[in-house]
Amino acid sequence: MASDPNVLTKQGRLLISILIIGHLLAVVLPPLSVQTRGPIGQSPSIATALGLIERYSQMLYIDRGYAFFAPDPGPSHLIQAAVTDQNGKRVEWMYPDREQHWPRLLYHRHFMLSEFMEEIYQPPGPPPELRALNRDEAIYWGEARKRYEHVRRSVVDHLKYENPDKEVAIRRVEHLLPDLLEYQIAPIELTDERLYRVLLDQNVQEATSE
Amino acid sequence: MRTLGSDVKNWCTGYVEAWDRFWFTPRLPHTLSVLRIITGVMLLYSHVVLATDLTSFLGETAWVNNETSRQLHDGAFGFSDFGRTYLWYISSPTLIWVHHIFTIGVTACFAMGFLTRITSPLAWFLQLMYLHRLTGVLFGFDQIVTYMTMYLMLAPSGSCYSVDSLIRDRFGSPSRGRFWKWLWPESTPTISSNIATRLLQLHLCVIYLFGGISKTRGQTWWDGTAVWYSVSNYEYQSMNMTWLYRYPRFFSAMTHATLFWEVFYCALVWPRLTRPFVLAFAVMMHAGIALFLGMITFGTMMIAANMIFISPEWVQGSLGKMRAGSPESGNS
Repeated sequence: MASDPNVLTKQGRLLISILIIGHLLAVVLPPLSVQTRGPIGQSPSIATALGLIERYSQMLYIDRGYAFFAPDPGPSHLIQAAVTDQNGKRVEWMYPDREQHWPRLLYHRHFMLSEFMEEIYQPPGPPPELRALNRDEAIYWGEARKRYEHVRRSVVDHLKYENPDKEVAIRRVEHLLPDLLEYQIAPIELTDERLYRVLLDQNVQEATSE
Repeated sequence: MRTLGSDVKNWCTGYVEAWDRFWFTPRLPHTLSVLRIITGVMLLYSHVVLATDLTSFLGETAWVNNETSRQLHDGAFGFSDFGRTYLWYISSPTLIWVHHIFTIGVTACFAMGFLTRITSPLAWFLQLMYLHRLTGVLFGFDQIVTYMTMYLMLAPSGSCYSVDSLIRDRFGSPSRGRFWKWLWPESTPTISSNIATRLLQLHLCVIYLFGGISKTRGQTWWDGTAVWYSVSNYEYQSMNMTWLYRYPRFFSAMTHATLFWEVFYCALVWPRLTRPFVLAFAVMMHAGIALFLGMITFGTMMIAANMIFISPEWVQGSLGKMRAGSPESGNS
């Protein structure tokens, strides 16, 4: 590169061009890999290309899928906390809470945490038959469950720290969207209790039998 | 045969020249400087809001404690990535606070354009360290504010509308050395301003393209109900817009327009004929997200990001006219 920053040698342009192309690949390939994932896993060609730049894009936090409100706007996921003191008095509240969490950015951080708990949720398991059928899938199941349990434990520990000498329990709650056709006939409050559903932490056999 | 060979050569030369023009034509830094102020202020706001409940998000007693946060990245649960941060190892609340106050100071300097050549990459690096620590509580706002900081550090974004420009104009002289000129650069066209602009423009196109593609996999974005379902999400909404159910033609038109706009943004934002319409829709859509879906920070940053398609000459001219018309200038 010459001393004038606006005069680049041919070699300088070539080097910068290579860096630009590498960076652009790191921008494009992560969301492409999300879209090209199917029942048999990632597209082999995209997975191979992604392998070249994956670490770089992860390091720079550009390994995102950009699926905002997609594929469809869905229900919200909340954390319900119950704190019981030594006299047996119990107080319950939800995360996120518009009244408690202000400004809105702080509310949104709590909202994302409760959504993260849903995103990483894995039921107890794996089912015994899966161990026999697909060992890798069973290992994956076990590790995903361990991840969820660690995050859940961390959330409970935080609440215990905030509420010393009290019992703390949490559960996940789904806040459903009202059905548009039903809403057009009989509008309801978005906070109507019929739109809330407790998400039980149970294994697949129990959930299926219900 | 010779004609075919020369045609191919001309074709290749044409591509190389177009590539050169696209990436290596010097550009004024004025748009980037305005974006530096907006990005810096929003990043500063993010750090200040985090400070209101700092130890709930950092340290050993956080919602996601240090160890769990590290394990989410290092493969302890079978899933690993290359996101790394020293914040996993800071346990002392005092040290966390000292670090956070330092981060706020650096980000404030970046926003006001003070020692921007240093504070700009430092603000980006510190933000990146926070992102890898705050796994589980991040959203689109964190992405776009980080990307903009990343691209702004490549250019002399502190060369105008900044403390740096005041220092340069007050104390600068032609005899100053190379370091001085690097630290307090002139607000003249540079290749680095152009590269930063192009990278942000293309990154924005990628964000919208894949945002649109992922929506095409859904049903509600096709049957026209997605906008109504979005505004009927209680946790997102900041204003109750469920009354839109009475106007299905309106909300379905908004849904279709949003889907097609996102998918075709990457093509229609470049021609001068279509650009104003594409940018006007961006402002409307993101203002809607900011006002009605409770994401004022995200909506604001996305509108700011779209400003990257505004020419620096126009920004320079408009702000110059505003200055000339202000009472301080003595021209009014």
